[in-house]
Amino acid sequence: MSSPQIEIQIIAALVAVSCAIPGVFLVLRKMALISDAISHSILPGIVLGFFITQDLNSPLLIILAAGTGIITVVLVERIQKTGLVKEDTAIGLVFPALFSVGVLLIAKNANDIHLDVDAVLLGELAFAPFDRFLLLGIDAGPKAAWIMGVILLITLSLLYLFFKELKVSTFDVGLSSALGFSPAILHYGLMSVSSVTVVGAFDAVGAILVVALMIAPAAAAYLLTADLKKMLWLSVFFGVFAAISGYWLAHWLDSSIAGSITTVLALVFLLVYFFAPKKGLLSVMYRQKQQRTEVSLLTFLLHLNNHQETQERHINHLREHINWQQVKANTVVGLALDNNLITITNEVISLTTKGLSFTQTALEYIITNKDDKIEHLKDDFFLFRG
Amino acid sequence: MSITEYFNLLFTDYTLRTISLGTSVLGAICGMLGSFAVLRKQSLLGDAISHAALPGIAIAFLITGAKDTNILLLGALVSGLIGAFWIRGMISKTHLKSDTALGLVLSLFFGFGMLLLTYIQKQPNANQAGLDKYLFGQAATLVESDVLLMVLVTAIALVVVLLFWKEFKLLLFDQDYANTLGFNTRVIDILITFFIVLAIVIGLQTVGVVLMSAMLLAPAAAARQWTSSLAVMVFLAALIGGFSGVFGTAISATQNNLSTGPVIVLVASFFVVVSFVFSPTRGLLFKQIRLIKNRRDLQLKKTLQFMYGIAQTHENIDHPHTIRILNNFQGFTKKSLRKMEENQWILLNKQQWSLTLKGFTEAQNLFNQQTQHE
Repeated sequence: MSSPQIEIQIIAALVAVSCAIPGVFLVLRKMALISDAISHSILPGIVLGFFITQDLNSPLLIILAAGTGIITVVLVERIQKTGLVKEDTAIGLVFPALFSVGVLLIAKNANDIHLDVDAVLLGELAFAPFDRFLLLGIDAGPKAAWIMGVILLITLSLLYLFFKELKVSTFDVGLSSALGFSPAILHYGLMSVSSVTVVGAFDAVGAILVVALMIAPAAAAYLLTADLKKMLWLSVFFGVFAAISGYWLAHWLDSSIAGSITTVLALVFLLVYFFAPKKGLLSVMYRQKQQRTEVSLLTFLLHLNNHQETQERHINHLREHINWQQVKANTVVGLALDNNLITITNEVISLTTKGLSFTQTALEYIITNKDDKIEHLKDDFFLFRG
Repeated sequence: MSITEYFNLLFTDYTLRTISLGTSVLGAICGMLGSFAVLRKQSLLGDAISHAALPGIAIAFLITGAKDTNILLLGALVSGLIGAFWIRGMISKTHLKSDTALGLVLSLFFGFGMLLLTYIQKQPNANQAGLDKYLFGQAATLVESDVLLMVLVTAIALVVVLLFWKEFKLLLFDQDYANTLGFNTRVIDILITFFIVLAIVIGLQTVGVVLMSAMLLAPAAAARQWTSSLAVMVFLAALIGGFSGVFGTAISATQNNLSTGPVIVLVASFFVVVSFVFSPTRGLLFKQIRLIKNRRDLQLKKTLQFMYGIAQTHENIDHPHTIRILNNFQGFTKKSLRKMEENQWILLNKQQWSLTLKGFTEAQNLFNQQTQHE
């Protein structure tokens, strides 16, 4: 591994971590798309900043562009407050307009600036190590690493200082304002951090990867845990993992680094999406199937309980009566037999004592609709689940 | 080139006519279908889908190796649809919210698309140049066959919208009711989504991935301000979209270095701002005017109520009082007193005022809702 390679990976990892942290809060606050809006609408800010500073890495440019990000957020909120359109429409109206202004500014002054919409949108991490930061005349590493390092440091210290406030205001706005934390300050604080991160990262990785690095690790972590701290750690881990392995994928395919980091993120998310233990697609579908069978079982037992006549409880008649398909009926009857809830003699089904008491408890739950009745029902009665 | 020159050229210049026709048709179909997206609170679906179409274009190119627009668009359509249905699946099967789902599809598909595009660029066959026009759109590359395709898609969309008008409307405003009536809401939903994706894919070549969402949203958001009827809104949105297309093309044709896509979006955004401010019923301007008018009216009635309180203590209601005794009451000015005289509520006589019978009954019935007000 050569020194630029290591540097690129360090920059990518720094970007990943500094995106993952605000990303978690954006996802939890249902504001994930704000990151997309900011990442596009900072374009005019970057162009104007570039006119003034003539340097893509100047801190002034970052502040100016981050200012445009905040303006976006404020504009979206203003438009939303008029009640003329919904929030998502407001977002969708603001950022394309600002982005268009940026594109036209670039197009009009194409001769004067070395700035290109492709570069802003897509970024080119491979070039990041060429822009060196000179400290007292000594080469101190790539500029992008320093910028992202400072941003990450600020983000981390803000996170450490305001963790409690952020946590409360994310999950319970009412409580947080009752406790005296201003939700507005926290909101705009988070928005400012997101804007600064997006601007700092755009040069290295491009606007779209910033969005991916903010949302995807947080979303994957959210499917795995419900604990805020664990979620932060997990999304940082996913981000860094995608950054490093994405770099090597790009190296191998000889393609865009930003694109391959996103692709790795997509793979990681897909993996989690399908196989997350409790909230993944497969386990959700399995649980839903299980619940369907169990509800059918309950219906079946209640039906038995209602009818004392033998012809009503005859196995063939039941299938007709409840109108189930052969397979489903077999599953339900089999489950009931396994759990010793029924017995079959001469093709007539009758409830066992256990089945009877199960039905009684279930009925009681249905009548009173109190949750504590159902809580232990399945554990108490079921040897096998559906 | 000036604007008038442009309109002259519009009838003579073949290329310009093709492009203008293309952008206006695109604006119209986006406005029409965008209305449904906006009303279904899926405004940002357009943003996600347009980004999600990118890998489809790249894969279609990788498979066929040809740069035939229709095949590339077919790829875009397929991957756009996959994106759209994955978003729905994510929202219904996991606890991820719609914003996260949209953002995920948008960024992950787009990033994968970028990977493929850069991969294609490194490939030896040099046929691939021009794929990135789908990123930012180039209206200038529109040719007659593209415009024909747009017109065809618009015609089909129009027929479908007219055929299923009742079902679409029902689904938009009351999905549960549609269900109870026995409509298959799932099929209708898929149909709407399909056509929205189709409109987006058609527009990619002209305005590009990033700005496509605005094409879908802006005309609809503008049209919404002028009406509360779905039919009028869809029609208006199509009109506004079409006009944005034509004006945008005109402006960008008259200036150097102005790309068409962004100009169209800015024109559409201008329509939105105008609608937000000047719409008679919902617009901010008239809302503010109504607010001020109501406030004045309230002030007037408050003064009347105060006078009524004074007049009640006298035997005859038209007993004159000096204006000075109103001084304790902060809510009157010379102007408001004159206005009350105009309403024939009071009579002014130099420094004195007296309540008229009309004013007295008006004040008496102020809190009585049955009274008819002028």
